[in-house]
Amino acid sequence: MPNQRPLKLLHLYPEEMNLYGDRGNVLALTRRAEWRGLTVEVISRGAGQLVDWDTVDLVFMGGGEDSHQARIVDDFLRLGEALVPRLEQGLPMLAICGAFQLLGQSYETADGQTLPGLGFFDAWTEAGRVRAIGDVVSKTELAVEPPTIVGFENHGGLTYLGSSSQPLGRVLLGRGNNGKDGTEGAVKNHVIGTYLHGSLLPKNPHLTDLLLSWALRYRGVAQELPPLDTELEWTAHGVIVSRAKR
Amino acid sequence: MTIKLWLAVWAGRMAGWVSRLTGRGGSSLPGLVARRLEPATLTQLVRHLSWGAILLTGTNGKTTTAALARQIFEEAHRRVVTNRAGANLIEGLTAALVQAERWRVAPRAALALLETDEATMPRAAREIRPRVVTVTNFFRDQLDRYGELSTTVKYVARGIEELLPEGRLVLNADDPQVAGLRRDGVHTVFYGLELAEPTSEGDAEAGDARFCPYCGTALQYRRRYYAHIGHYACPGCGWERPQPRVRVVDWHPGAGWATVEVDAERVTVPWRLPGIYNLYNLGAGLATVVAAGLTLEAIQAGMERFKPAFGRMENLTVGVARWWLALVKNPTGFNQVLATLAESRLPSFGVVVAINDHYADGRDVSWLWDVDFERWLPRLSAQHWYVTGTRAYDMAVRLKYAGLSLAHITVETHLEAMLERLKRQERFETLYVLPTYTALLAIRRQLTRWGVTEHFREG
Repeated sequence: MPNQRPLKLLHLYPEEMNLYGDRGNVLALTRRAEWRGLTVEVISRGAGQLVDWDTVDLVFMGGGEDSHQARIVDDFLRLGEALVPRLEQGLPMLAICGAFQLLGQSYETADGQTLPGLGFFDAWTEAGRVRAIGDVVSKTELAVEPPTIVGFENHGGLTYLGSSSQPLGRVLLGRGNNGKDGTEGAVKNHVIGTYLHGSLLPKNPHLTDLLLSWALRYRGVAQELPPLDTELEWTAHGVIVSRAKR
Repeated sequence: MTIKLWLAVWAGRMAGWVSRLTGRGGSSLPGLVARRLEPATLTQLVRHLSWGAILLTGTNGKTTTAALARQIFEEAHRRVVTNRAGANLIEGLTAALVQAERWRVAPRAALALLETDEATMPRAAREIRPRVVTVTNFFRDQLDRYGELSTTVKYVARGIEELLPEGRLVLNADDPQVAGLRRDGVHTVFYGLELAEPTSEGDAEAGDARFCPYCGTALQYRRRYYAHIGHYACPGCGWERPQPRVRVVDWHPGAGWATVEVDAERVTVPWRLPGIYNLYNLGAGLATVVAAGLTLEAIQAGMERFKPAFGRMENLTVGVARWWLALVKNPTGFNQVLATLAESRLPSFGVVVAINDHYADGRDVSWLWDVDFERWLPRLSAQHWYVTGTRAYDMAVRLKYAGLSLAHITVETHLEAMLERLKRQERFETLYVLPTYTALLAIRRQLTRWGVTEHFREG
């Protein structure tokens, strides 16, 4: 697959939204593309900077501390005017934790204010009293093999999905979106929202490859990703899956 | 002294003896037992100290700073009660006071020097009413326990409110989050680095507090020693790094000494610990004893005999090899250890990384992805990486994605099995062993069993 222009990965707010090893996701996407002869160009974009949307193939945004998230939220809402229509047209995105919350209709801050999100997901987030912290194993309906997703959740917010929303998975271990309905994350078009850190993608190579294949498709390149030796990643994945079976 | 306190102390001590006789560690158990019988055990015992108590907190460097300050106090003939490394929750602090004496109930020591977990600060300070609070730094560490960094800072700030009226604060001037803890009307001893040579270690590391604690503007750095630690100023409100009273101004790692200025005086002390981060521990330790009223002569005398704490870069002979042990528990600490390995310039060595995810380690291993292996791997002459612990495979995946060939990685999740194998290895003369907290304890047990180290009181 050489001689193509690089895949462009837009990393939103890497300074502010970078909690709990979320940069590992960017690394996983980059490496697994490189190991197949593709190159990935990571475009880091902070608040107030411009984006050349026509060249973006994939978007990543992580979680941040409340005070850091507050710094970027106005900018992100403005960005939504360009971002949301593209997500509707199939631009793939991975949104972790705070970014997942901001893609919903609304979220509640720690001091009780309810603020609007981008409204891409039919979902809303309330402030919880107890933080959900621990290993997570979920079972996904996405067409990936194996159907398990593993990670580590650490969030105070409780997210509820509207009736039209599809969860990313249902928890076998951990609390998930709200600790009540068993859902974890959300999927719509080619956008994955989730609470899982870990980092998420290195231990879930099937999701990494899915996002890469969506990015290629969005750009209009019809090609299969050749398989890679992923035994080590699956063993690390299996360590957490086995905790759900205890 | 009340009967209740007497009973509580003796029940606590007996619990400790039984626990040690039966081979269990239980360094906090005596405190737990005593507090059941007399919840005010800690408060009452601390009142018997002739001088008072010092609480040491912050993410990294508590143990080394405490060991250093203790050494200087003891050389100056001040009796000191300290807690065991890691036993830094309220039960651990209580256990230290309960076990301070063998036969008497009340401690005869002049002072207690207690390293204290950040989240325990409000409670510990309320019960103890410290005369000095020393804060080293704030990095991301065990966020799975406390949520977010700002929460951790708030805990420490609440602890500081409990300082005695004449109490003193010792703060790292070079960490903006720590320097921002200063309070009007509280006497503060700042410490920091003012080395002549630039030592800036890159901006790629996970920086935590790059924003002004007063107005939220991004800080500008004139010099950065590592992560967010350095000389900064806020372009928004004009706040800047406070001028420290205790300054590390010169360091010669090869020759093994460092020069420190205190106010207008200057002293050169032996200093063999590697890494910039340890210079901050030197500054923190000296500022703490200065805040407690010790003189420069006392400091000089005490420093002559300082040895590093267990697992903080000390070395041992195992089989044919020299093992260097260094605790790793967060991205900044790990980066600093890797920087030190890169400085070592040995032509060949092996690295052992032991990652557990028990409660005391922090159950979230996401932080491994914030360690800048991409930066350090090309600068290390390590020929092989041995990876072990409950989360060995996460560590191996981390190294793989940092670009290390699988041929250079050996994975064995079972720590004891890995250690047995490493004891017999003859390929490397030097092994750097980098464990998380519970892995360090397990390694210590194994080394004791082999007779490589003396028997430690703490299990």
